Amino acid sequence: MEFAEHIKTANVEDVVLRQPLQPPSRGTLCITGHHLLFSDREESDSRQVLLLLRNIDAIEKSVENLTGYSGFFSNASHSERMSGSSGTITMKCKDLRVLQLDIPGMEQCLNIAHSIETLSCLDCVSAMYPFFYRPVDLSLPEQWGLSSPEMHYSQMKELYEKWRLSTVNRDYSVCPSYPPAVIVPKSIDDDTLKKAAKFRQGGRFPVLCYYHKKNGMVIMRSSQPLLGANRKRCKEDELLLQAVIEGSDKGYIIDTRSMQQAQQARMTGGGFESKSFYDRWKRFHRQMERGKALQESLIKLVEACGDESNNMDRWLSKLENSKWLSHVQNALSTAGLLVECVERDGHSVLVHGSEGTDCSLLISTLAQLIMDPCCRTMEGFLGLLEREWIQARHPFQQRCAHSAYSHARLQQESPVFLLLLDCVWQLWRQFPLALGFSEALLLRLATEVYASDYGTFLCNSDQERCALEVKERTHCLFRALLRPTERDYYSNPLYERTELAIWPSVHPQSLQLWKGYFLRWTQQVRHLEEAQEEIRNMVIEWGKLARS
Amino acid sequence: MSTEIMEFAELIKTPRVDGVVLHRPFMPTVEGTLCLTGHHLILSSRQDNTEELWLLHSNIDSIEKRFVGSLGHITVKCKDLRVIQLEITGMEECLNIASSIEALSTLDLVSLMYPFFYRPMFEVIEDGWNSFLPQNAFKDLESMTDEWRLSEVNKDFSLCPSYPPLVAVPKDFDDETLKKVATFRHGGRFPVLSYYHKKNGMVMMRAGQPLTGTNGRRCKEDEKLINATLRPGKRGYIIDTRAINVAQQAKARGGGFELEANYPQWRRIHKAIERYNVLQESLIKLVEACNDQSHSMDRWLSKLEASNWQTNVKEILTTACLAAQCIDREGASVLVHGTEGTDSTLQVTSLAQIILDPGCRTVKGFQSLVEREWLQAGHPFQQRCAQSAFSNSKPRHEAPVFLLFLDCVWQILRQFPCSFEFNESFLVLLFEHAYASQFGTFLGNSAAERARLCLPEKTVSLWSWVNRPQELERLTNPLYEPNSLVIWPSVAPQSLLLWEGVFLRWNRSSKCLDEAYEEMVHIIEYNKELQTKVNSLRRQLAQLETEDPLLHTP
Repeated sequence: MEFAEHIKTANVEDVVLRQPLQPPSRGTLCITGHHLLFSDREESDSRQVLLLLRNIDAIEKSVENLTGYSGFFSNASHSERMSGSSGTITMKCKDLRVLQLDIPGMEQCLNIAHSIETLSCLDCVSAMYPFFYRPVDLSLPEQWGLSSPEMHYSQMKELYEKWRLSTVNRDYSVCPSYPPAVIVPKSIDDDTLKKAAKFRQGGRFPVLCYYHKKNGMVIMRSSQPLLGANRKRCKEDELLLQAVIEGSDKGYIIDTRSMQQAQQARMTGGGFESKSFYDRWKRFHRQMERGKALQESLIKLVEACGDESNNMDRWLSKLENSKWLSHVQNALSTAGLLVECVERDGHSVLVHGSEGTDCSLLISTLAQLIMDPCCRTMEGFLGLLEREWIQARHPFQQRCAHSAYSHARLQQESPVFLLLLDCVWQLWRQFPLALGFSEALLLRLATEVYASDYGTFLCNSDQERCALEVKERTHCLFRALLRPTERDYYSNPLYERTELAIWPSVHPQSLQLWKGYFLRWTQQVRHLEEAQEEIRNMVIEWGKLARS
Repeated sequence: MSTEIMEFAELIKTPRVDGVVLHRPFMPTVEGTLCLTGHHLILSSRQDNTEELWLLHSNIDSIEKRFVGSLGHITVKCKDLRVIQLEITGMEECLNIASSIEALSTLDLVSLMYPFFYRPMFEVIEDGWNSFLPQNAFKDLESMTDEWRLSEVNKDFSLCPSYPPLVAVPKDFDDETLKKVATFRHGGRFPVLSYYHKKNGMVMMRAGQPLTGTNGRRCKEDEKLINATLRPGKRGYIIDTRAINVAQQAKARGGGFELEANYPQWRRIHKAIERYNVLQESLIKLVEACNDQSHSMDRWLSKLEASNWQTNVKEILTTACLAAQCIDREGASVLVHGTEGTDSTLQVTSLAQIILDPGCRTVKGFQSLVEREWLQAGHPFQQRCAQSAFSNSKPRHEAPVFLLFLDCVWQILRQFPCSFEFNESFLVLLFEHAYASQFGTFLGNSAAERARLCLPEKTVSLWSWVNRPQELERLTNPLYEPNSLVIWPSVAPQSLLLWEGVFLRWNRSSKCLDEAYEEMVHIIEYNKELQTKVNSLRRQLAQLETEDPLLHTP
């Protein structure tokens, strides 16, 4: 196998592993193509740590050659000096855990470090662990994922009258980032769609993402229109949007960029829907942070959380400086605006930014959680993620290549999905009864998105997934999470379905740092988890009692 | 009594106004009749479906009035941080009401306060005034050690006006020596026992600062007294709650600290805990930040930071952990003092006990702690809690010392959600009653003042009310599982949270959180029920098995 060439030392004895919340332990370290395996020497209750190399964001090594300062007392023999040398590898993981390995022997240490460094950032998707993950109790599924656009459409009878399923993109030629089937207004034929696609960045023409049963209004999403500097227009695009609001007096467009940003986008060929061509659409601009700025915010936040200076002022100003909570607030309030348009004002909305693959998904997902009780069950939520993030294509591979510790130069990394999970956590905290799943599910997703046994978050689009046969050759995380044991573990014991919209408070005082994630590896968060665990166990016990 | 009632009548210019509109947080607007009595502001709509407002005048921190035409708006800001609005038609009525409220809410005379007029509408099961007598607490101590005795040297409060009549001191010291020591300590607060750590016999004492002055006065009896608490060959720690330079400056005013030369067996540690007006300002800034209506996250976080409240919480907790560490980990005795020994000293000694002693984490144990370390130890509640965060008057002796203590307890409770028998509501309740109450518990500044006011005879104790099944049920923590261990809270800034239950209580509806809490209580109760059922079924099965030998044959 090709991994072998990266592994010069596969086994080291007498390694000390230090990890948060546990006493250090001594044992054997193994490096395989995808894992770092540490097993305790203790016979009685031996512990093993299995870490996906993919989970490692950055490593630091320091080699201590004791001959350096034992030179003064040079009685030590050469061999003693050699064995005295050792090294320490600090591994900073994408799930924010920091582990440390003390490895005897300088050369072994350097070899291990080199293997970790190389193997943890191999780029080749088809060599990644999900393609090798074959648990004994699980055979590869017949159906990958929870649903498909086709199934989703067939279940939504309300749609049949005015909406149709178009397969114009069946070979991904119209829009490489869309799934083969999308829902569009019935009155618009595929040729019109093809032309409209040419007018939208990346071919992402407006498609339906949510139908509000209460009043028949919809959320559409797309990418920015390609007006360019000379204000091109596209009749077909206008027709398509016109068809969306047929029978209604107007619609709203929420542009996730500031007015100024949207105007500047014209210089690079993009733009926004001008009033003169889309006269029945009212546009709002809400500037949302994306890309690099968001990644830097995460880096600063994680740095602040790891700050050990024990100074309250410094902590609070670092927290403020990171701006992370402002991004949370902004995302929730923009989603709130979207819900207001659909639910209160009773109009349809089109959401887009530039590419329509990041912020647009973020706020359309949050809006659906706020409005639609069906999205708040565990299946509903995972289904929502599948529709909005997997099928509608968030470029996970690019966005989650690195997390907060990486020294590598930032490219396409951005924690948009993590920001979504944080916002959902804020909702869960404000409405502890309304969501069918618990914080544990959000934590699991936050870990899996960066490094996983499953194929769900591989690749950047449906097209790439097909090319690599992800759906045939890997397991699906969402399906795994819905197996009975896992489902018990991740469901919210306090859940009580409410039909009402859950309007989050976005006052700065109401939003909190997501300690369960960002301070997960510190002692005090554990106590809270224990209390939650206690409740969860009680509920699981009842379930058993009820069945017996 | 009749003259007192006369006095109230003089202050109430307009006892009653109709058609007043009331706005209060999380409740529908009510229109009704406003009545002023000697102690209450009452608004009633005389309809069954609306809740009446009964507000103690002593709960009112400040009021503001403004007019729009002849419609007057009175904003009432309460010491429990609630803000309510009254709309009154008619300028004269409005002005009269406002000035009456102002006068009634700032009455200084203790004997006119509501607790002296309040008659309980509930059955007193156990008189709270007798629940925590020092002699009873001492019985527990006697069962653990014979090295201490209860001294009556202060029985007429003449030696130390802020101490209770009975204090625990080392057995070998007679009252004459104590009298000499008292002259050497600020306010006569000679070192007394605050806590005995059963596990290793170490003790925590507290005192006022030693009066060394600029020329380094010493007092042999003081040195002997505290040395008597050390085991042979062991050292002790003196925790001074002031920064070293503050302690140095105190010398100029006759105070000071224990010099190494005179106390060679003691190591002194200085910790800077803020006091008085600095704390009061911190509270004012914090509450202002919490009520800020702007939507800017940056602004909120920098205002929170600028208030310094969380820093104060952290410093107090850190010092308490230090004291607890000296006792439990280092196996050393500790003496805690600052200047007077009535504020930061008590914060540290009482929090250290919560960390060390599981007994203090029960409902009764916590009451007993508040009684011992705050009420009898002479924290001047009357002065400290005269005004809260909304007051416009210049602060004199006001300081949220007790509130900070409660905040610290909440932080520990949050970090150890299963180790406390009581819940957050109990802490909030103590905060409210420390500032305004129908009960006499927090009246007065010391045991001496309380004795002079005959509080046990003339007022009802808060504990009498709390220690009834229906109240206790509301205040107990459903997750409680006795934990006999020392609990070490994390004091990293990242671990400390803003106490929303007090500071954001009136800005954010807690409806959903309360529902979740109810649901959790429900789950736990149902679980208990099921467990008893399982147990009784098991018993039945066992019985059947013994009765019917056939069951044993396969």
